[in-house]
Amino acid sequence: MSTTIDEATLKSIIAEVMRELQPDVQPKASTPTAKQDPPQGGRISFEEKGEAQRGTDPTEVVIALAPGFSTQQFETITGLPHGDVIKEVCAGIEEEGLTYRFIRVLRTSDVGFIAHDAAKLSGSGIGIGIQSKGTTVIHQRDLPPLSNLELFSQAPLIDLETFRAIGKNAAKYAQGESPQPVPVRNDQMARPKYQAIAALLHIKETQLVQQGAKARELKVQAVRS
Amino acid sequence: MRSKRFEALDARPVNQDGFVTEWAEVGLIAMESPNDPKPSIRIEGGRVVELDGKALKDFDMLDTFIAEYGINLDRAEEVCRMDSTELAKMLVDVNVPRSHLIELSTAMTPAKITEVVGRMSVLEMMMAVSKMRSRQSPANQCHVTNVRDNPVQIAADAAEAAMRGFAEMETTVGIVRYAPFNALSLLVGAQVGRPGILTQCAVEEATELQIGMRGLTAYAETVSVYGTEQVFMDGDDTPWSKAFLASCYASRGLKMRFTSGTGSEVQMGSAEGKSMLYLEARCLYVTKGAGSQGSQNGSVSCVGVPAGVPGGIRAILAENLIAMMLDLECASSNDQTFTHSDLRRVARSLMQFVPGTDYICSGYSSMPNYDNMFAGSNWDAEDFDDWTTIQRDLKVDGGLQPVLEEDVVRVRNKAARAIQAAFKGLGLPEITDAEVEAATYAHGSHDMPDRNVVDDLKAAQEMMNRNVTGVDVVKALAENGFEDVARSVFNVVRQRVAGDYLHTASMLDSDFNVISAVNQPNDYVGPQTGYQISDERWEQLKFHRRAVSAESI
Amino acid sequence: MESEELIRTIMAEVMANLDKDAVTFAKKEPTTQQARQQSPQAAAAPSATVTKEQYPLGEHVAHRIKTPTGKSLAECTFEGVMSGQIKAEDMRISPETLEMQAQVADSVGRTTLATNFRRASELIAVPDDKLLATYDALRPYRSTKKELYDLADELEREYKCSVNAAFIREAADVYEARGRLRGD
Repeated sequence: MSTTIDEATLKSIIAEVMRELQPDVQPKASTPTAKQDPPQGGRISFEEKGEAQRGTDPTEVVIALAPGFSTQQFETITGLPHGDVIKEVCAGIEEEGLTYRFIRVLRTSDVGFIAHDAAKLSGSGIGIGIQSKGTTVIHQRDLPPLSNLELFSQAPLIDLETFRAIGKNAAKYAQGESPQPVPVRNDQMARPKYQAIAALLHIKETQLVQQGAKARELKVQAVRS
Repeated sequence: MRSKRFEALDARPVNQDGFVTEWAEVGLIAMESPNDPKPSIRIEGGRVVELDGKALKDFDMLDTFIAEYGINLDRAEEVCRMDSTELAKMLVDVNVPRSHLIELSTAMTPAKITEVVGRMSVLEMMMAVSKMRSRQSPANQCHVTNVRDNPVQIAADAAEAAMRGFAEMETTVGIVRYAPFNALSLLVGAQVGRPGILTQCAVEEATELQIGMRGLTAYAETVSVYGTEQVFMDGDDTPWSKAFLASCYASRGLKMRFTSGTGSEVQMGSAEGKSMLYLEARCLYVTKGAGSQGSQNGSVSCVGVPAGVPGGIRAILAENLIAMMLDLECASSNDQTFTHSDLRRVARSLMQFVPGTDYICSGYSSMPNYDNMFAGSNWDAEDFDDWTTIQRDLKVDGGLQPVLEEDVVRVRNKAARAIQAAFKGLGLPEITDAEVEAATYAHGSHDMPDRNVVDDLKAAQEMMNRNVTGVDVVKALAENGFEDVARSVFNVVRQRVAGDYLHTASMLDSDFNVISAVNQPNDYVGPQTGYQISDERWEQLKFHRRAVSAESI
Repeated sequence: MESEELIRTIMAEVMANLDKDAVTFAKKEPTTQQARQQSPQAAAAPSATVTKEQYPLGEHVAHRIKTPTGKSLAECTFEGVMSGQIKAEDMRISPETLEMQAQVADSVGRTTLATNFRRASELIAVPDDKLLATYDALRPYRSTKKELYDLADELEREYKCSVNAAFIREAADVYEARGRLRGD
C-alpha cells in the first residue's frame, strides 16, 4: 500500500490548494446563518424535530448529545451544568465563524459512536459527541468509529475552557485546517476518584439506549429561570 | 461536633478514593452475583447443546463462539460434574502438577471455572498462581509515554527502562496521529537499553496492526474483548473479527495477546446483571478460543470499578488465575492507578508480585505518572527504588534490578542520539542537540523543550504514506553512526521470519534467544522447584545504592 | 518426478494415520473441534512434523525455515539488509514455517493456538490492504451476509484461504442470527 491517501488527507490537501489559489473561497468567509439562539447556559430545554438529516452546509459542525443529556442527568461528573457545557462548545464554534446543529443519539451511549454519528450527519463531516458525564470526542466522517480526531476520555478533567477549545478546534477541522490539538490534561488520580461513580452514571444513561433508533434533530433552548 | 479522629481519617488518601455499594441487578458486583449462571454443559453429536444453563437456541454470539472453540470438550462433561471445592484444593496442592490441572481447567465451562476460583482465598489463589503461570521465570512490562508525545523522551525513557529490567514495553499516544513516531522512538530507544526488548504501540486495532506490519513494533496487546455481546459490539468487534485479527498478526509474524478485564462491561453499561468475574471468564474463553497465546488481564483500565466494590481486588487476582488455568500467558495488569493510598496500591500488587506472573505489571509507568498516557499507572518512575527495595526485602524477583545513575545517564544520552540519527536518516523533522541534552537528564516532559507538533504530525502521516518499515529504520541507524543499535533492531525484526516468539509467554534475552512456556515451562511443585533466584541474580537484587557497608566506614 | 512420488507416499501415510486416529476416537463421536484440528493442511505438511523438541525452530531447524520470497533464514542477515539483498518483504514468515509452529503448539496441547497459526498461514498470501479490509468487513454492522459470503469466496479463490473462508461464512451466519449485519 505504497501511496494510498485516505479521503481526509486528500480533502485537507484540496482545501489547502484551493485556499492558496483563491483566498476568498474559504468557508470561513461565509457568515453564520444563526439558525437558533445560542443557549445561555444553566438548564436547557429541547424541542425534538423528528429524524436528524444529513446536512449539506459545509460550515456546520453537528453536536450529538447522549441519550440522558439534560433529560436524565443535568450536570457532568464534576458538576458542570450541561447548559454551560453546550454554551461553551457553541461559542467555540462561533468564534471560528461556523454554525452548529444539535442531534440526540439514542442507539448507543458510547461516546465514540455518538460523535461518529454526528460526523456522518454533518455537512462539514465534523461532529462532536458529548456524554452526560462530560466525556467528549471530536470525530470525522471518514475515520473508523473508534478512531477520532480528538478524544477527551477523562470527563473529570474537562473544564469549561476546554469545552470552548473543543468547539473551536472542531470548527477548525471543519475548515480543513490542522489545528494544534486541545491540550490533553492528565491526572492519574481521576480514575481512583471517579471511575466507579462514572460507571454508575453511565449505567443510568445506557438504560435509556434504544437499539436501532435513529438520531433526532434537536432545537436547544436555554431555560431562563 | 465532629470527632477529631474521624476528621483525621477523612483526610487520609484512602478517603479520596471513590467507593460504591454493590448493585447486583446491573452487575456492579465483583464475584458471585445472584444472577451468575450455575455451571452446566451438555454435548450431543459432538456439539454443545447446553452451556451454563442456557440452551443452544438461546446462545448469544459469545456462547456460540465459546461452545465452538473455547472449551476442551473431551472431558468437559466429566469436569463439570466434579466437585468445585475438590478442584480448588487441587489448584493449591503442590503435589498436583500444572500439567495435570491444565487438562481439567481447560475443560471447564466459564461458570465452572468462576465457581472453582470463588472457593479460594487470596492466599490460596497466590499459591495457585505460582504453579499455574505458564512461563517458569517471571518478568515485567512497562509503559513509555509522555503527555506531549515527545519522541526523544520516549527513546531515552525506553533505554532506561530496558536497563532496569523490563522485557516488554508499551507506548500509546496523546494524539492518535503521533503513533508512528511513538512506535519508532520506542523501538530504537529500547534496543539501546538492552537488546531484545519487545515493543508495542497501543492504538485503534486496524492502525495498530498496520504499524506492526511495517515492522515498527514486535507485538500487540490492545486487542480488546468483552464479556457481553452488547459491549463487544460497542467495542466495534465480534469474537470472529477478533479471532481473524489474531490470525492477521500471526500471518505477519507478530506476537499478540488479547486484553480484557473485570469491570469493563458494567462500566460500559451492559453487564446483564452478571458479576464482573463471570463476564471476565467469558472474555478469557473467547481469548482462548480465538487462539491468542495470551491475555493482558486484571481489570486493566477499568480497575477503579472493581476497586470500588467489595472483594474487587480479590476478583482481579482470580481473573489472572483463570487466564493461567486456560494455559494463557498472563500479563497481569498492575498498571493503572486505582487509589490515592500507597498502602492499597502495594497490597493490590503483592497478589501478583509475590507469586510472580508472566508479566507482573503490564504497564509499570517508566516515567512519572503525569506523563502516563494510559491515565496513570499503579507504579511509576518515582517508585523504582521502592520496587527494588521490596524485592530485596522479600527476596522476590519482580523483574527489575537496581541501577546506577551514571549508567542511566549514559544510556539515555545514547538513545536520544540514536533517535536523532534515525530521524535524520529517515528525513523526519530535526531533533536538536538541545533536545538530546534535555532528554538525557529529564525526569519527565516538564523538562523537555517544545517541538513543532504540526510539523511532526505531518511528517508522521507522511512516514506512513511512504511506507517506512523496520528495515528502513535499520539502515537509517547504521548509516548515521549507530550500527550496534541497527543490528539490534534488525534482530528484533528478524524474529518474525521464524516466529518462535509467537508462542505462549515469549520474551527475548539479550542475545535474542526466545524464552517461552514451550522451552521454559513452569514446573513448580513446591519448595525448591520452579523458578529459583540464582546466586548471580540475588547479587543483582540485593544491591542497594544507598546501603552502608562496613568497609565504607 | 521423484519428489512428487515422495510427497504422494507421505500423503498416503499421513492420511492412513489420520484414519487410525479416527478409529481411536470412535468411542465418542468426534467433536467439531477435533474435526477442525485434523485440517487438510496439517496432513499436507511438506516434511516431517516437528514438536517442542525442535523448538525454538529458528535455532534447531533453521535450515527448514524460508521466507515467503524463498530466502533462507541464514540469508536474513544485517549485512544482507545493508547491501540491499534483503528487503522488508523478505523479512516475513512463510506458510510452511507457521505450519511448523502450529505443530509445536499441538505438541504442547495448545490446539486453539495451532488453529490460529493455521488460519494465519493461509493469510500470508493476502496483501496488507486486503487483510485490513477483511478484518473491517468482519466488524459488526459492516457487511451484508452476501458481502461476507462473497468475500469468503474471493479469499478462497484468489488466495486459497479455505479455512478462513469457512470461518467467515460461519461468522456471517452468526451475525445474521444475532442481527449484527449491515442494515440490522
